[in-house]
Amino acid sequence: MAGYNKKEEHAHAKAEVHNHGEEHFREKHLMLDPLPRGQMNDMVMESMYVTSWKFWVVFAILSVIVAYGLFFSWGKMIAEGLGIAGVNRPSYWGIFLVNTVFWIGISHAGTFISAILRVFKAEFRRPFTRAAELMTTFGLVQAGFSVFMHMGRVWLSYWLMPYANQRMLWPNLHSPLTWDLLAITTYLLSSTMYLFLPLIPDVAMARDRSTGWRKTFYKILALGFRGTEGEWAHLRNAMNIFAFAIIPVMFSVHTIVSWDFAAATRPGWNSSIFGPYFVVGALHSGMGAVIMVLAVVRGTMKNMKYFIRAEHFDGIGRLMLIISMAWAYFFFNDYMVQWYGGDKWTQQLLHFHEAGPMGWMWFAMLIFNVVVPWAILWNQKWRSTPWIVFVVGFLINIGMWFERYIIVPISLSINRMPFTWRLYEPGVEIPLGIGTLAFFILLYMAASRLIPLIPVWEVQEGQMAHELKKFGRETVVSVSELE
Amino acid sequence: MIRPEEIKMSAEHVGKWGMVIDQDICTGCQACVAACAMENNISFVGEKDSGYGRSMHWIRIERFWEGEYPEVKMTPNQPMLCQQCNSATCEPVCPAFATVHSQAEQLNLQIYNRCVGTRYCGNNCPYQVRSFNWRDYERPEPLSNQLNPDVTVRRMGVMEKCTFCIQRIHKAQDKAKAEGREVVDGEFTTACAQACPASAITFGRVDDPESLVSQLAQRGHGLKHLEELGTLPNVTYFKGG
Amino acid sequence: MSDKFSRRDFLKLAGVGAASTAILTGCGPASRYVTREPYMLMPEYNYNGQSTFYATTCRECAAGCGLVVRTSQGRAIKTEGNANHPLNLGKTCARGQATLHGLYNPDRVTDPIKRTRGNAAGTTVTWDDATQTVADALKNYKPEEIAFLMGTTSDHLFDLLTDLSAQTGINSPVRFGALSMFEARATLSKAAENLFGEAGMPLFDVGGAQVVFSFGANFLETWLSPVSYTRGFAGLREAQSKKRGTFIQFESRMSSTAGKADEWLPLRPGTEALVVLAIGRLASELRGGPLPRAFADVDPADAASKSGIKLETLEHLAEMFANSTGALAIPGGTALGQSNGLAVAEAVLALNAIADNFGKPGGVFFSALAPNQTEYQRSASVKEMQEFVQKMADGKFKVLFVHGVNPVFELPASSDFKNALKSVEQVISFATFPDETALEADYVFPDHHALESWGYQRVVTGSAQPVLSGSQPVVSPFYNTRATVDVLIAAAQLAGGKFAEALPFKDEVEFLQSKVASLMSETDGFFAAPDINTFMAYFQQYGGWWKTTDARTIPNTADVLNRNLVGAEAEFAGEGEFFFVPFVSPTLAEAGANKPWLQELPDPTTTVMWNTWVEINPETAHELGLEDDDVVKITSEAGVLEVPVYRYPAIRPDTIAIPFGQGYTAYGQYAANRGVNPADLLGQHFNEAGDLAFAGMKVKIEKTGKKQPLSRLESIMGVYGVGLGEEH
Repeated sequence: MAGYNKKEEHAHAKAEVHNHGEEHFREKHLMLDPLPRGQMNDMVMESMYVTSWKFWVVFAILSVIVAYGLFFSWGKMIAEGLGIAGVNRPSYWGIFLVNTVFWIGISHAGTFISAILRVFKAEFRRPFTRAAELMTTFGLVQAGFSVFMHMGRVWLSYWLMPYANQRMLWPNLHSPLTWDLLAITTYLLSSTMYLFLPLIPDVAMARDRSTGWRKTFYKILALGFRGTEGEWAHLRNAMNIFAFAIIPVMFSVHTIVSWDFAAATRPGWNSSIFGPYFVVGALHSGMGAVIMVLAVVRGTMKNMKYFIRAEHFDGIGRLMLIISMAWAYFFFNDYMVQWYGGDKWTQQLLHFHEAGPMGWMWFAMLIFNVVVPWAILWNQKWRSTPWIVFVVGFLINIGMWFERYIIVPISLSINRMPFTWRLYEPGVEIPLGIGTLAFFILLYMAASRLIPLIPVWEVQEGQMAHELKKFGRETVVSVSELE
Repeated sequence: MIRPEEIKMSAEHVGKWGMVIDQDICTGCQACVAACAMENNISFVGEKDSGYGRSMHWIRIERFWEGEYPEVKMTPNQPMLCQQCNSATCEPVCPAFATVHSQAEQLNLQIYNRCVGTRYCGNNCPYQVRSFNWRDYERPEPLSNQLNPDVTVRRMGVMEKCTFCIQRIHKAQDKAKAEGREVVDGEFTTACAQACPASAITFGRVDDPESLVSQLAQRGHGLKHLEELGTLPNVTYFKGG
Repeated sequence: MSDKFSRRDFLKLAGVGAASTAILTGCGPASRYVTREPYMLMPEYNYNGQSTFYATTCRECAAGCGLVVRTSQGRAIKTEGNANHPLNLGKTCARGQATLHGLYNPDRVTDPIKRTRGNAAGTTVTWDDATQTVADALKNYKPEEIAFLMGTTSDHLFDLLTDLSAQTGINSPVRFGALSMFEARATLSKAAENLFGEAGMPLFDVGGAQVVFSFGANFLETWLSPVSYTRGFAGLREAQSKKRGTFIQFESRMSSTAGKADEWLPLRPGTEALVVLAIGRLASELRGGPLPRAFADVDPADAASKSGIKLETLEHLAEMFANSTGALAIPGGTALGQSNGLAVAEAVLALNAIADNFGKPGGVFFSALAPNQTEYQRSASVKEMQEFVQKMADGKFKVLFVHGVNPVFELPASSDFKNALKSVEQVISFATFPDETALEADYVFPDHHALESWGYQRVVTGSAQPVLSGSQPVVSPFYNTRATVDVLIAAAQLAGGKFAEALPFKDEVEFLQSKVASLMSETDGFFAAPDINTFMAYFQQYGGWWKTTDARTIPNTADVLNRNLVGAEAEFAGEGEFFFVPFVSPTLAEAGANKPWLQELPDPTTTVMWNTWVEINPETAHELGLEDDDVVKITSEAGVLEVPVYRYPAIRPDTIAIPFGQGYTAYGQYAANRGVNPADLLGQHFNEAGDLAFAGMKVKIEKTGKKQPLSRLESIMGVYGVGLGEEH
């Protein structure tokens, strides 16, 4: 058993020396707590290798859920039609679209954390960029599942692809759904590449430290990376380009998703603020999801307590608080503008949101998205505690799911033809939705066994750049520019 | 590759079709609904689905209540069908061009075999007159003998809606063309208008000022539903009373 | 329709094919280019082959509307109204449209069956055996032991049976239908007879009137001739030459007819006679002159307090009635189906005397007698049916033939037809569908569906011209069924003797020819023909024969106003606190429940599909703690029903209503075990004319605690504001 346990004891022993400047910094900041590179590499490799029986139990349960909830139910729905779901007139879209928007939202935080924080050189990002990027890719996979499930004739979905064909079919470029398709595809491809690029040095490291099938696997993934200066330069260039380029893609993709709604004539949908409102909402749920993932990874995987520390929860917690405020602002703005518009149908809809049979959901959304984060995340101690932020992140995700549920099926229940108003009751959407969630977790668990969840080279790079310097009585963190 | 807007632009077929519905004499008897179902091979969906907003009626008769007993009044029956908007909100949102505007007839077409079932058109139709085939609704034999061979039998997963009986329009136009003349007003009509015992539904060419439907539409107090949305519907209602 | 395909047919088809190809491809030079556009166009841009159209008659109710059925490749595709037909002028109701779902119903009786009673499975017999069975039944029993029970359609069969009974002494055929029971036809004609001295079916010219007062007549739904009356209603509202007419409906529950009224007056059930007489009295006073004896006895203030209609309202109505140039009053439906129904009918007819509209446009006429008919005939009232059932129970009938009616379902359960049937030795049903009565029969020898049948139907009312509406097969029989007339003719030949003499025909068509031959000599028919074959060809082509002249007669009204009219309140049977109003479902009527698209048509007032409901005023429901879809137990002196609640805003708080048309236990997969039959609650109480006092029951309601969601097209949220904080 290499490494961190010893270190931990060491840290504990040192912690007794209270308020001793340097030790305090070390304990708090990963960047100032360097370990020998070899040891750190081993720790990461170990975190992939050491798998408890609990992992396999959870893995097996999730596999069953995915097999039944996702694939069997979906097959059944393809065979029997969307009738076994809860969609109806007027709620032609139901939980499928809720889940699509939700998963795209989840996928946003990955890019946000990794690209934006990379571009702004926020140093606390280093240990969890990969964990976040994985969420992007896996979240988009679930979004794709959800949107394909939603289609009445999914076996013809390739008709939406713009390619020359003898059916003389061309997708309608007026349709927000076509924009959607293009945007999501672009996002999926670019985020996958963006996930892959920083992974190369790490799999190269893993290649050098593994045997058997793993070695073959990492050899293929590493693309022959040796760590020469030229390779690093190319890699950095590519990563820089992607980090800058993917940010507008990320903003555009959720803006375009929001246009599915905003470009329609439905009361409650036709709102010009939907673009930023959706982006902020996506970040809100995404950050919640990232913090949940980090808490779980820290709690369940070996050696992770070294890499993921209170400072990271604290940093993400601050971001969450700010995003929660931004969301509250956009929510208020959206509500205000729609209400002020004076359209009687929209006003009826707003009234229905609060006072209708699903009014509890509207209030729960506000409590989970605004009240809870505002009340808890102010406190630095609370927002540094993993289980507390886990709960907050969980509630925010529930709240944001409710928000999408209110926008999709509940807003669809009320339209300009009162004769057709009808509530939506989910059917097979529930196993399918749980199936996508289980599949997301399953993919994540599989990935945690196969690729280093911690970008070791990035951590090491950061640790090299950071040092503590003493200026008189003052101890400060000094960072040298590496790139 | 031909783009759908470019097809069927031929000038051979003239005629812009419209409808006038007089709510004052509509008795709500459902004859139009039955006639439409029979003409257009519309599936019946059974008790459970029909009670859950999944009935396939292409035309439905709406009625509301005003006041309370004993001063309660039933509002004039309002047959609601596809308004064949000239600026239809359902058309731009379809990613597959399954719902397109026919320049020739000035109608909204629903091309079933292009439909992939995103149901966006249904959401975006302010009149909520589109029906989706949630399942392959069963027609036990020999009920299928009644199916109209001129109208597609829609399968699971596609959207459908009132077509103004386009098969009848085409039959009449082809007949007129073969005889070297234009379609005469009243030569044919839609299934709903044909059945209506009160003759509350009038169908015809709205681009012909002499046609009955144009004459009726010009009577002055007609209204078009949700006109404020700019959908330019081709169905005019008279509330009357 | 034969399997043989002659050379001539081939040439015809080839010609049609060539012509349509020429049309479809356009013939012009541009159209030489064939564009393959499989996913570009609606398939409806192309059509397959040519259709053939046959004129025939609708048999979904007794009205006798003309149909033109579009057929393609030997299949019936669509029914349309016959535009030449004077009764419906090209229009149909929903049931006429859905008649195809009867023709191609998956549950039809496909072969002649012998069965043990009550057992759904039976053994198939050959038609030869079937004919022999009928012949034996005719021959082996005394004529007075043989009875025929018929529905209200297939007048040619009725004529055949009438001839047969006249010449052989078997009982003359009895006709019955639930629709005629709920229409209270017997009461209406009896009232006309009492007032005008002549039996007949009054015809109300709604279209020509200015003000229409309807007392319970649901003439826009199923009453007498709905398509024709709906056209009349459109005339009342739309006529170009006059101003929009006013329509007032008096009934305790707002029917879909009342929904179209300018004013709906929910009077207390049983006070109709009082209200009519009060309006008559007030209107007479307004008109001046001596007060007619008919209206002299009533006290308007008393009528107002008893009926729950304000005296001012009555005065205002009377003023409207008296001052109008074209006032018309119509009695019907629930107003007549009460213990004093005859008095109500008489009072309403008498009210027309104030308007002095008899024989005038917008007034009251006698319907013209149909061609080849010498006197007015009507179907049996329930009281007459009761005598019939009694004879069955007493064993006076040994053989019962049933055609076109399902008395086990249609008669009130209290009539106990099913038990009486046990006392009949042999029951032979000619049912097209496996209904409850066919299930209780020894034999089912299925008749063709109406669209596969020859025949004719007399138009009893609704048309100014006398109309004999003709039927012909529009498609060849789909199953191994046989026309009942053919079976009877063949059986009579087999039985020999007086039977063979009574029916000396080769087949049904020859019988029809013998019946319509007399029309050839009429002068004012809309077609004439030199010989019977040509005449029959036209008869088939046009869908019947009718006169070109108005043959309505004017009632003799000399002493209408001088009669003593009784303004008593109706009596109600039973203990409960609620008046009970059964009404015929406007979409299903008496026999529509087996047609899936009729089941899926929303009821015009409640928009409920596929089931039965009970209408309760929301106030009352609130008091009883009932919500929508709560199942309640309804108890009358005659029976108990469990049915889900529909909170109906337009019904008196002391009244509940249930539609008739569901509640079958057999009759195919779409009808069986669906909903309840309100006739089960009806006791044997009659009015003076012998019609069932179906609206004369009082019932109790109990909550059961069960729920049964009703399928409704309307939105509870949008129409009633449920969940929006603004209920009702």
